[in-house]
Amino acid sequence: MKVLYKVLAYLIAAEVAVQAMAVVFADAGMGKWVEQGGVLDKAVMESDAPPFPEVVGLMVHGMNGIMVIPVVALLLLVSSFFTKIPGAVKAAGLVLLLVVLQVSLGILGHDIPGLGALHGLNALLLFSAAVYAARRDRAAAVTTPARPDVRVGSAG
Amino acid sequence: MDATRRRGARARLVVACAAAVAVLGPLTWLRQDSLMPDAYSVMDMGYADHGGGSREAGQVGGSPVHSAHGPARATGHEAHSAAAAPGHAGHAAAGHGVTAMGRDVAAPADHVPAPGRDVTSLTADPRREADVRVTLTARKQRFRPAAGRLVDGYTLNGTSPGPVIHATAGQLVEVRLVNESVPDGITLHWHGVDVPNAADGVAGVTQDAVGVGGSFTYRFVADRAGTFWYHSHQMSHEQVRRGLLGALVVAPAKGTGAVDGVALLHLYDGVRTVNGREGDVRVEASPGARARVRVINTENGQTPVWVGGAPFRLVAVDGTDLNEPGPVRGTAVMVTAGGRADLEVAMPEDGSPVRVHIGGPTGVVLGSRAYDAPAVPRPAATLDLLSYGAPAPIGFDPDAADRRFVYDIGRRPGFLDGRPGLWWTVNGHMFPDVPMYVVAPGDVVRMRIGNHSGETHPMHLHGHHAVVLSRGGVRATGSPWWVDSLEVGNGEWYDIAFVADNPGIWMDHCHNLPHAAEGLVAHLMYEGVTTPFTIGGPPGNRPE
Repeated sequence: MKVLYKVLAYLIAAEVAVQAMAVVFADAGMGKWVEQGGVLDKAVMESDAPPFPEVVGLMVHGMNGIMVIPVVALLLLVSSFFTKIPGAVKAAGLVLLLVVLQVSLGILGHDIPGLGALHGLNALLLFSAAVYAARRDRAAAVTTPARPDVRVGSAG
Repeated sequence: MDATRRRGARARLVVACAAAVAVLGPLTWLRQDSLMPDAYSVMDMGYADHGGGSREAGQVGGSPVHSAHGPARATGHEAHSAAAAPGHAGHAAAGHGVTAMGRDVAAPADHVPAPGRDVTSLTADPRREADVRVTLTARKQRFRPAAGRLVDGYTLNGTSPGPVIHATAGQLVEVRLVNESVPDGITLHWHGVDVPNAADGVAGVTQDAVGVGGSFTYRFVADRAGTFWYHSHQMSHEQVRRGLLGALVVAPAKGTGAVDGVALLHLYDGVRTVNGREGDVRVEASPGARARVRVINTENGQTPVWVGGAPFRLVAVDGTDLNEPGPVRGTAVMVTAGGRADLEVAMPEDGSPVRVHIGGPTGVVLGSRAYDAPAVPRPAATLDLLSYGAPAPIGFDPDAADRRFVYDIGRRPGFLDGRPGLWWTVNGHMFPDVPMYVVAPGDVVRMRIGNHSGETHPMHLHGHHAVVLSRGGVRATGSPWWVDSLEVGNGEWYDIAFVADNPGIWMDHCHNLPHAAEGLVAHLMYEGVTTPFTIGGPPGNRPE
């Protein structure tokens, strides 16, 4: 369970990196397409077929952000219940909280672009929290090397 | 020591399991609860909204859903609930039924339903001879739109867009639709034409999808001159995109006295086309002539239209002429997804060509000798139809409304038929717990459409034209602005009104067709009308 917990936590961090890459990939592709004479309006935006290939980045960002990452964060929380790593539940809870915040900021950013900027900032927090969660066992190994059974209560 | 540790481990496991169940249990329950049955009637969907009542005393808050179910379905409240519960995947049993059915409780137990009227009986005069006869044969094939690249999609009579159907106001149009090879089945919906309900072409509501080898005949009187279009309303989000669509032009009996051109916008595989053509569409118009360009937006998002080289007038919207439209210069017109805009240009006397931009550098070029009209950038200003043209009587008093409805669009996380995601809501409820707007023939109906969902929605009411009264509380002061497709931007709200003069069961949905597939669908139902068709079932009806 410890391995699963660690894998899920690192997976979230990796997903955040994928998200950042995907959205810039799409943005760069759109810039290039417009530069070459492409015109973007709502009709094109809502068209299922991609006007430029990099638009796949937006689809990946959306699917990952709304479906995959929340599910992984939820599984991380569940797996944290079963690990003996001290502080795992808190760390996983923090990750899930930041994911919820991140999705909300992403959605509300369509309304208020300023919140989109916070979405970018919160991505860094989420990445850090995921790495922090993944490395809890190391921290525990350093601080409490000999008393695992005393600390287990806090893991539940 | 070992025993203590084992006990501790056991306790920890129990706590962990309990926590896991506490987290995953509600989610699993919500998911199960959202699953739709294989077949269900739209009459069983959601809850009846009477908009403040019926004109019959004692009916306020009552349930015309009963009468709508007709004798075949139920004869009393208990029977109705029993019949409806399975249609909701156990919603009632799961507690959701309070939302879905609970509002029926105000109905008197001895309420006798009015005799039901089947949607299939709501037709044009069957004895009348058709004036315009067309057969459209649908195929699944690879095809090449006019001078374009190969597209893997669907055609009507071998082309996409399908042939332009021309009629004159007052004529009876009869279209026989034949499905040669579209595997999922097809229908045709006459977008913007207030057809009799049986000809509305909504799979699972007014007919079954036409399977391969089958056919269906649509008959309606084209009573209103204007620009319309037709498209499949079976799996529409997929079939429209891939080509099952075309234009319908109804000319006034006395003619328009103008050169006439259709400009149907559609994207094939992401490539923007007008009438299937990637470049400009040329329309011959001699100097001094009036040229009418009928822009049809068949896409899922609105698009701006503007004119370079001459001023223009926006003479009609959604198949309805505007009253005293003034000349427009340096201003763009937004065409709603599914909507139409007719622009009229007075051709310059010096013979120079005029370019009508449709969303981009290309569009329609009007000219006679030369067609080298330069592209002009999109003007910053957008025409506001709330104050364009001159007021005129609308034929009824919207302040004396019999029904007042709210169609408030939001968005929240949840499960739609088992799929997790961020889904649209109507009045706070997610599909299928959406309102069924119930009216009686002759009612004056007001509807407030609000949107705080984060995205714009082109709202399309079947079978009726509604007049825009106000936007965000600001009253309309221009020409009566009749719509069948109204773009309701995020953060906006509109008050619209219409007369319930076309009995049936009518979809009232977002014409960003993927949004409809994501649950942004409600219905307008007339008291006493029933449908024998179901969503799903053997014909595989999937209107969205």
